Amino acid sequence: MLTLDGVHAGYTAVPVLNGVSIKVEEGQFVAIVGPNGAGKTTIFRTISGTLKPRAGRIAFEGLDLADVPADRRPHLGIAHVPEGRQVFASLSVFENLELGAYTEAGRRDWKRNLDAILGWFPRLAERRSQLAGTLSGGEQQMLAIGRGLASSPRLLMLDEPSMGLAPTVADFIFERLLEIRKETKLTILLVEQRVAEALESADHGYVLEAGRVVLEGPNSALRANDRVRQAYLGM
Amino acid sequence: MTAQAIENVLQALVAGLLVGAIYGLMCVGLALIFGVMRVINFAQGDFMMLGMYGAFYVFAALTAVLGVSGGLTPYAAILLTGPLLFIFGYAIHALLISRVSGAGAAKLDGDGHYAQLILTLGIALIIQNGALIAFGSQLISVRTSLSASAWTLPIGEEIMLFINQARGVAAIVSVAVMVALTLLIARSMLGKALRASADNPEAATYMGIDVARSHRLAFGMGVGITAVAGGLLATTLPFQPFVGLDYVIVMYAGVVLGGMGSIGGAFLGGMTIGLVQQLSTLILPTQLQNTAIFVVFLAIVFFRPQGFFGRVSERT
Ligand SMILES: Nc1ncnc2c1ncn2[C@@H]1O[C@H](COP(=O)(O)OP(=O)(O)OP(=O)(O)O)[C@@H](O)[C@H]1O
Ligand SMILES: [Mg+2]
Repeated sequence: MLTLDGVHAGYTAVPVLNGVSIKVEEGQFVAIVGPNGAGKTTIFRTISGTLKPRAGRIAFEGLDLADVPADRRPHLGIAHVPEGRQVFASLSVFENLELGAYTEAGRRDWKRNLDAILGWFPRLAERRSQLAGTLSGGEQQMLAIGRGLASSPRLLMLDEPSMGLAPTVADFIFERLLEIRKETKLTILLVEQRVAEALESADHGYVLEAGRVVLEGPNSALRANDRVRQAYLGM
Repeated sequence: MTAQAIENVLQALVAGLLVGAIYGLMCVGLALIFGVMRVINFAQGDFMMLGMYGAFYVFAALTAVLGVSGGLTPYAAILLTGPLLFIFGYAIHALLISRVSGAGAAKLDGDGHYAQLILTLGIALIIQNGALIAFGSQLISVRTSLSASAWTLPIGEEIMLFINQARGVAAIVSVAVMVALTLLIARSMLGKALRASADNPEAATYMGIDVARSHRLAFGMGVGITAVAGGLLATTLPFQPFVGLDYVIVMYAGVVLGGMGSIGGAFLGGMTIGLVQQLSTLILPTQLQNTAIFVVFLAIVFFRPQGFFGRVSERT
């Protein structure tokens, strides 16, 4: 469904990604893990198109994304739930969800998606007319995920949904993601610092260090790998 | 207080509310550009001036072509001028402003504010002098038969308020346009997309919104709205190509007074300035009306040390 092939990218002078290749198959749950500054968020930006790769190819469902502007990509079915949530702070919770449904598919499925989203995150229903900027961190994350789901995506990209959240809240979000996946069979690409949880729930994982994929494989293989166990799982 | 004195105060109050409604609409146009999209635009007064001439010539054309010049024709002309200036503003943004704002400002000092200042001052000078060449320097106005008649409003036995019909209708149109715009921004998907683009451009892009287009649309709308306000003002005020200079001050003061990001606030800010201006005539000679506005403006700058770019309530 999504392939990155030898992607190089960076900001101004510094290269961040040095030839990253990643594959996400339809229906798969893929996790990317790695230390701070490895370039995980940068990978997401190149997929969404807010950062142009210097070299390499990104294709979504067989379509080369090189000439697809960033604001068209959500309409192809790519939903990006960005790092740090980035909800529209001055808009209400409900308006944030409506904006999630800005894509054609999102408008078409609005009623059904809204019911589903509010079912998974009842907290959002309680706070629907509150300004998103006044939500707690956990609530903002629920909103950011709900907003992503409202677009009726084919691929949901989540950048560190547990960032800055209390462990119980992060657990709740993780549980919901698994539930959402079970119910919708949605393809998910996840970046996470909580490596243990990420590798446990994903089918396939990539370990990124200094802008390179240093390890990849099915989750069982990664969890059994000595290097992963030492560096990320503390075993 | 004598009945006469009370009548004078009430009369000034009414005049302030009526002209304040037009100033309010004018400020709303700038609020879209400066308050919401954060673009400094010193040409806004000149866009308003173009709205005045636009209304004048569209009115003349309507009269010539349709042979109608009745009471409400000038208002039809004014409302038609809005879309014309919207297109003009949209084009100016696409060609020039976009280079120094939004994504185009990323590499510029001070978020591109310095470049915006210089660019829009340049645009202002070109428009002013272009208008001087095209339209001449004589004072003209949009004539409406309504300006010769007044509604009278008796209060009690001794007080009689006069409401000039041209001013009254202009205020009503201002409020109607303002309400329509507020509904558009608050309720429509377009309005939500504009607010999202201003709130968080990167996240808006992830929603599939063309943020650059949002900026162009908001700029065009801001120009169109202020132009309509200009046209309304032109029914009661003779103008010439340099009329924008006075009003750019009114607009910035109104927007800052209104708390920057808010459309409704900008309208109230403009309304306040209209009231100050008219009430000042009770104690100051009429020629000093605009001085009162300057004083308000200075007071705002003085009491808001964070300057123009701070918001009254910072967002999280
Ligand atoms: N806008 C930017 N301009 C310049 N450099 C940047 C920018 N964003 C990120 N970088 C740099 O790129 C490198 C990779 O950053 P990136 O955000 O992709 O890392 P990450 O793997 O997501 O890290 P984290 O786990 O902390 O979120 C870092 O060295 C960072 O300093
Ligand atoms: Mg990151």
